[in-house]
Amino acid sequence: MSAVRITNGKVLDPANGEAGVARDVVIVDGRVASADAVTGAVETIDAKGGIVMAGGIDIHSHIAGGKSNIARLLMSEEQRAIREPDGPFCGCGGGLSTMTAHATGCRYAEMGYTAVFEPAMVAANARHMHAEMADIPFLDTGGYLVLGNDDHLLDLMQAGASQAQVNDYVAWMLNATKTMAIKIVNPGGINAFKFNQRKMDLDETNPRYGVTPRKILTSLIKAVTELGLAHPIHLHGCNLGVPGNDATTLATIAAAEGLPLHLTHVQFHSYGTEGDKKFSSGAAAIAEAVNKNPNISIDVGQVMFGQTVTASADLMSQYRNSPFASPKRWIGMDMEMDAACGIVPFEYKEKSFVNALQWAIGLELFLLVEDPWRIFLTTDHPNGGPFTTYPHLIKLLMDRSFREEQFAKLAKSARKHSNLLEIKREYTLEEIAIVTRAAPAKILGFTDRGHLGAGAIGDAVVYREDADREAMFSRAAYVLKDGKVIVREGEIVDLVYGRTHQVTPDYDKSIEAKMDRWFDETIGYKASTFKVSDDEIRGGQGSVKHATARAS
Amino acid sequence: MTEPRVSGASGGATHKDVVCPFCGLGCDDVTLKVDGTAVEAGEGACGRAAALFRRGPEAAPSPRVNGREASLDAAIAAAAELLAGARSPAYAGLAADVDGVRAVLKLAAATGGSVDHYATPGMYRNLATSQRKGWIATTFAEVRNHCDLFVVIGPDPAKAFHQLYARVTPKTGRFLDGARKFVFLGGAPSDEAKAQLEGSAVETIAVSDGALVEAVSRLQALVSGATPPAGEPDLAPLAEALKAAKYPVLAWSASSLDEDGDIVIERAVAVVDVLNREGRAACLPLSGKDNLTGAYHASLWTTGFPLRVGFRGGVSEHDQLAYSTETAAKDADILVWTSAFRPEKPPASDAQLIAIAHPATEFEREPDVFIPVGQPGLDHAGLVFRADSTVGLWAKGYRDAGLKSVADIVKRIAEARP
Repeated sequence: MSAVRITNGKVLDPANGEAGVARDVVIVDGRVASADAVTGAVETIDAKGGIVMAGGIDIHSHIAGGKSNIARLLMSEEQRAIREPDGPFCGCGGGLSTMTAHATGCRYAEMGYTAVFEPAMVAANARHMHAEMADIPFLDTGGYLVLGNDDHLLDLMQAGASQAQVNDYVAWMLNATKTMAIKIVNPGGINAFKFNQRKMDLDETNPRYGVTPRKILTSLIKAVTELGLAHPIHLHGCNLGVPGNDATTLATIAAAEGLPLHLTHVQFHSYGTEGDKKFSSGAAAIAEAVNKNPNISIDVGQVMFGQTVTASADLMSQYRNSPFASPKRWIGMDMEMDAACGIVPFEYKEKSFVNALQWAIGLELFLLVEDPWRIFLTTDHPNGGPFTTYPHLIKLLMDRSFREEQFAKLAKSARKHSNLLEIKREYTLEEIAIVTRAAPAKILGFTDRGHLGAGAIGDAVVYREDADREAMFSRAAYVLKDGKVIVREGEIVDLVYGRTHQVTPDYDKSIEAKMDRWFDETIGYKASTFKVSDDEIRGGQGSVKHATARAS
Repeated sequence: MTEPRVSGASGGATHKDVVCPFCGLGCDDVTLKVDGTAVEAGEGACGRAAALFRRGPEAAPSPRVNGREASLDAAIAAAAELLAGARSPAYAGLAADVDGVRAVLKLAAATGGSVDHYATPGMYRNLATSQRKGWIATTFAEVRNHCDLFVVIGPDPAKAFHQLYARVTPKTGRFLDGARKFVFLGGAPSDEAKAQLEGSAVETIAVSDGALVEAVSRLQALVSGATPPAGEPDLAPLAEALKAAKYPVLAWSASSLDEDGDIVIERAVAVVDVLNREGRAACLPLSGKDNLTGAYHASLWTTGFPLRVGFRGGVSEHDQLAYSTETAAKDADILVWTSAFRPEKPPASDAQLIAIAHPATEFEREPDVFIPVGQPGLDHAGLVFRADSTVGLWAKGYRDAGLKSVADIVKRIAEARP
């Protein structure tokens, strides 16, 4: 038996209604136990003057896969400039917006995060993703499977397939790729771009399949609902970055018809067309719609100023953005009748009208959405900025005067177009704990994460109380992963690896023969080759299979 | 998941749908007959793959230290000792599955030295453009279904990717209205390719020696709507065909191009760039034998750099000249050669040689330490990548000849370091 006691700290555990309760947190054999579960001498962590929270959970961060490698390739200046030496616990890598796998785990752990999920796993690239995620230390991971542009699904829908057939296909794909949720990126739009369609709104039809984004969205919402996946459809909507897409976003919220739907990086989908530059904030109306629709959750995709790189499966949008590449280079790729990717380096500047307004729109969303259980702290790493900017973002949310100082630095034209100064709200520590831990666990369906009640995974963090919230959240005093201390005073002190989360919903086995034929004829290799085997995930060890309504 | 397996009359076993890990096309319909340690590839294997899969019934050779047979433990200890005294090791070959590449990178981070894959010269011709400017690329299944005009730039890639046309551009494609058209610009289909292309519309446009850059540049001007000075051959019809096609693809094998291949690629990418302004088009840059693509990916996610990485004081850096095998082999005091897919010879070098290599490797001079290893996709399972970069393949193990993987051996050497 291994046991550790965190004592003298104030426990901030919103999932269990604890807002700064002075109690010990005891972790026995990797799980939180009751305070009296062990007696006598155990390893004790003195959290005096500290806040104790569950490990942070990032529900949307591009941490692995082909697109991450293309980003590293294109951002060679950053790689050369930021190097991390090999050490007992650190790997020999580097980067910031294009961090290497090992560095990704280290930087997240130092900030107190212990679970990070890759939101765009293209099926054809699943093996690469899994291999790379296994090299990220400290973090539990998992992938959201990108569907909605795959020719097989569109073909089924065009042929008038039943919902049951769609469900079987979705379940088959989740099993084959060892993923945990469904992501839709620009529904049908990536596919349409392969047929040279350049723009696609919610009710426009795909030129080949005659299917609308709305139809794709509603079919897949039904599929995940009927399969009983915990996480709702994770949607990157139509018209990313296009002024006027606020209307599309509002229409998309309505299209869910009350069923659970998660809208991701909504900041990039909240642009109006008002003002002399025909670019304005649509945040107020979208936040209002989120407030009124309890089935909707969002993450923000906050823009943070500086150099980064944008990486997305949405090649239709990235092609449109490619003229703004900085430095001037970008890579696009159509992928395997499945999806695509577009990687465009980008620098957000506070003196740019558009970038400054993007920054303000993100903050408006954070501050106007009332329920912290339905909004999540993300920068869509690295697309809005690297995840290492989270502590700065937390300070912007918690400290109004700091926020106003930063606002004053923006391009004047952008300041005139934002109502940010009128918003007085400051996030409380409890709200930060919700948006970074408790709520992400809830929306992903984890009952044993994001909290510190008995039975929870022993991922716990101690932050030293500091009025400068950026300093407080940059380097945790202690981070424990499965009950092992991995960070002490902001320094990595051990090397451990997490697990890969997946779902295995059942499906009608008659689909196997159909998938065999599809792969033989259309994809050009065998369905049996495509299926990722259990042996491949962390050497056959370390996957967590979550229950679904349709269990296998 | 179990692979189809049929017992043979002689007591051996026949495995169907075996993944071929060699060239990077990722054929996965190979039939493999395994009897004891003897292996014979049947249906689905091209001539090259059949030769590479073939094994006789004889036992694998034992490890050797200074030419004398040694136990595996003794060979590992000898390798670790050599590395302990190394000033400047060069890790070369790197022909291994992803696990093997990971292990080599980790060892190199600890000992210092350079890391390169032996097939990177072609890859670097592609990177000269992709890394500095970028491109719009595609993958095999997209080509198979969308591509109505397939233009080969320079020598026929089928010389390296034997079943390219049969697998990637078969007769039927989901979105093809008529027959797929093929144009060979500055090259000609090999005999093997001709058999695969029989019945297809194939045009060959000859380009005189050394004039490929000029030809592709002119093609770029033509698709852009400019009127370049007239030249031979006349490329106006090809430019029109490219503009009229729905999803033209420009393909090349970087390692088959001449010295000016990097510039040829840059211009071909520019053609695709122009075509995408009004329509769709993509390039298919081929390079990737012996899991070069997997090594490239693992190097990027581990160090941030696309191979040709140097480790000094535990920090990695990248220099495509200084850390190329060619340069490193000259400067190194120890060459660590890993080659698990085929009996590839290590480069000439005055350095001491640790060879973690295919059992049939014939050396120009006896290595200081030789440890025979198994082949991913035959002796053990492993992850290898297809040449179009996106798709990873799980190549399984089908026999036990007592040969360990590169990853096993390299990890043990790392652990045995004093």
